[in-house]
Amino acid sequence: MAVAGSGAEGHSSVWELAPGEVRHAGIVHVVMLALFTGIGIVVGTFGSLAVPIGFVSAFWPGQAVQAIGGVWYGMWGGIAGTIFPFISNSLSGSAPLPVSLAYVPANFVQSMAAGWAFRAFRADPSLRSGRDWTVWIVWGVLVANLFGSFWGSNVLVFFGLVTRAAWPTVWAGWFVGNTIPSIVLGSLILKYVSPLVVQTRGFTKGYWA
Amino acid sequence: MRRRKTLLGMVPLESPLYQFHPLTRMIGLVVLAVLPLFVLMPEANLVFLAALFVLFAYARVDISRLRIYLPLMVTVAFFMFAITVLAPDRRPDDIRLQVLGVTVYYQPLMRTFASYIRIMAMLFATIFYFSTNHERDMLVALRAARVPFAVSYVLGLSIRSAAMFLEDLTTVRQAEQARGLDDSGLSIKDKLKMYGLYLIPLFTMSLRRADEISNALFARGYTISGRTITGGPRPDYVLSQYRFRARDAVASGALIVLFVGVAALGWRYGAFQLADSPLNRWLAGALQP
Amino acid sequence: MAAVVIRDLHWRYENAREPALRGCDLEVEEGAFLGIIGPNEAGKTTLVSCIKGLIPHSAHGVYQGSVRVFGGEVRQKTALQLAAEVGMVFADPEAQFTAMTVEEELLLGAENMGLPLPLIAERLAWVSELTGIADLLQKSPYDISGGQKQRVAIASVLAMQPRILILDEPTSMIDPLGKRQVFEILRRLRTETSLTLIVVEHNIEDLAPLADRLAVVAEGRVARVGTPREILEDTGFLGALGLAAPEVTELFARLRADGLHNGAVPLALDEAVAEGRALLAGARGAP
Ligand SMILES: Nc1ncnc2c1ncn2[C@@H]1O[C@H](COP(=O)(O)OP(=O)(O)OP(=O)(O)O)[C@@H](O)[C@H]1O
Ligand SMILES: [Mg+2]
Repeated sequence: MAVAGSGAEGHSSVWELAPGEVRHAGIVHVVMLALFTGIGIVVGTFGSLAVPIGFVSAFWPGQAVQAIGGVWYGMWGGIAGTIFPFISNSLSGSAPLPVSLAYVPANFVQSMAAGWAFRAFRADPSLRSGRDWTVWIVWGVLVANLFGSFWGSNVLVFFGLVTRAAWPTVWAGWFVGNTIPSIVLGSLILKYVSPLVVQTRGFTKGYWA
Repeated sequence: MRRRKTLLGMVPLESPLYQFHPLTRMIGLVVLAVLPLFVLMPEANLVFLAALFVLFAYARVDISRLRIYLPLMVTVAFFMFAITVLAPDRRPDDIRLQVLGVTVYYQPLMRTFASYIRIMAMLFATIFYFSTNHERDMLVALRAARVPFAVSYVLGLSIRSAAMFLEDLTTVRQAEQARGLDDSGLSIKDKLKMYGLYLIPLFTMSLRRADEISNALFARGYTISGRTITGGPRPDYVLSQYRFRARDAVASGALIVLFVGVAALGWRYGAFQLADSPLNRWLAGALQP
Repeated sequence: MAAVVIRDLHWRYENAREPALRGCDLEVEEGAFLGIIGPNEAGKTTLVSCIKGLIPHSAHGVYQGSVRVFGGEVRQKTALQLAAEVGMVFADPEAQFTAMTVEEELLLGAENMGLPLPLIAERLAWVSELTGIADLLQKSPYDISGGQKQRVAIASVLAMQPRILILDEPTSMIDPLGKRQVFEILRRLRTETSLTLIVVEHNIEDLAPLADRLAVVAEGRVARVGTPREILEDTGFLGALGLAAPEVTELFARLRADGLHNGAVPLALDEAVAEGRALLAGARGAP
């Protein structure tokens, strides 16, 4: 393990403000927003191209990037996770503009469910305890993707891309296709990169700073 | 044909399309990518697609490059029709057919066919935009449309970040390979583990870079609000190099009229729907037992 | 008038145990060229970041003491005021690019300041001539050579015409040709403009002939400030810090210590050749 097992050293939680600490949104957050959008564009595009089923990618690692962005950078990550699919979907050809637009609520929830839950339940992004893992898996992966795939598969029905009769299957396929990469990649990144991130000035303890 | 590589693909170096202002071209994107939404009649969308391909040729896009979308077109078609065959949305009076011993229903298949053509129409309209517009055109268009500077700037920086992330990815991959990590012959599980391990140096690099870029932006007086020292509006030198000419006004106007016209006909008067499709009527008639 | 006055400056980065600066004092005259040298990790970058205002404006940590730029406390100035007064070029040129073309890179600062368009066009022409990048304007700043990148970085800061220009090891990441071109730009700036220049540089040999004064930073303090000659003559002091004076300086300092030379020590090759000729002529003339 790269992380010393001593638990939270001294302070109770990474989300707590130090006495007298003032945080405000700055350039670094705007840069993080751009950076996560950029990473999302690359990861999302390749994820869709690697398994070219078009609109229902069997393996879409984009949600891992969305959730991590929300955990580390709050609403900045949420915005990034909402806008990068527009570009990655266009580049990979997996969804035209109107369909991307219809996905917006799903992408927002896929980004922010974990971001909200980690803050609300004071879970450590470095996944140190069983409780941290539970918050991550339940909210960041399961709830986020249940909603995302529910909404998304309804969008597909709305656009006539899948039949209503096939909707439960599509929903399930979508759910699994997002969940597995999120558990694998998302957990790895959270566990090993978070200890570094929480020390940077861009790390967002609230929703904006 | 000489071309220029952009992160978003490849655009021709010279194209008659470039005589139009980037804003006109972006209006084109919005109109063309949304237009098929109002149209389900496959004939209309096929005409639309044909017109798009004429546009591709007019803009001097290398049409052979569009081949990369072929696998996607095929898999999407396969997926959609398979679903329709396996789980059709049936209505009681649907026409029942036997094809190669499988029972299928005509109406659901026709609806799927029409939706497929429609999604392809929207898709190629989006692809057309990215095949004829440089990143810079996109930003100029947004700024010309008076989108706040912060928004267009962040978008530009995002595209930049994507390019840098790709570059880092190559660097990290090369470093891993130099260390003797070859992914051929690994199980899927080990491969996943290895890709996960790429991500850690990748994210670390990106984080460090974010810090440096923030400093560089601070050093050059960048403010999120776009406030300037003089208090006046933020000047835009690049935008000032472009002119919105009469031909842009005409083209944009025509695009908007087209959009409003089709939307009104489609939504208010139910035009361009499947019921009006001659192909659909003819097939339904021919297949009626 | 003093461009920069630093008094008893202390700074500790939020996550560091030890302070990076522990009581710095420094003055820089307007229009002067100050060279900053010192061992690795001495605090050079931190010190110039305090002049630029990156510290404390965009870093977390503990700040004590005073840094004044043209009479005003850096802590109290806004990012925009600081941008107009102090420009800074970082060691890694690539890390400071944010635009898609060189041209846009040069424009960013000037546009942020809100300059009128004709003036921006004028500045664009001026900096691209000065740094020799006029034919690169439409290229991506990532697709050019290392030396060109650094010149673009310098140009993009110059386009804002700050009154003070800081360069933090501008040649540490580029090839020898690129280095020479950067020093040539510095030489032109020194002679053609009234810019106050502050240059952190490992390359003492190239820095010394340009600098009016050198400051030696060690262990978070400004250990010594003086003319290049004053600083470089004391080769023992430099040696103790692991810094090396130019070889020719070292040579003559040793000759002087041995009583074989009793003039000033040369700082650069040309001077050394002249001194050497005189020395040899003297030796030959002796009975
Ligand atoms: N962002 C930071 N956070 C924490 N500590 C830092 C940070 N930046 C620098 N330091 C520490 O502060 C001290 C001074 O570093 P600084 O970069 O100013 O030295 P330097 O003289 O510029 O060194 P170099 O020659 O390597 O560039 C070092 O001990 C360094 O590890
Ligand atoms: Mg340094």
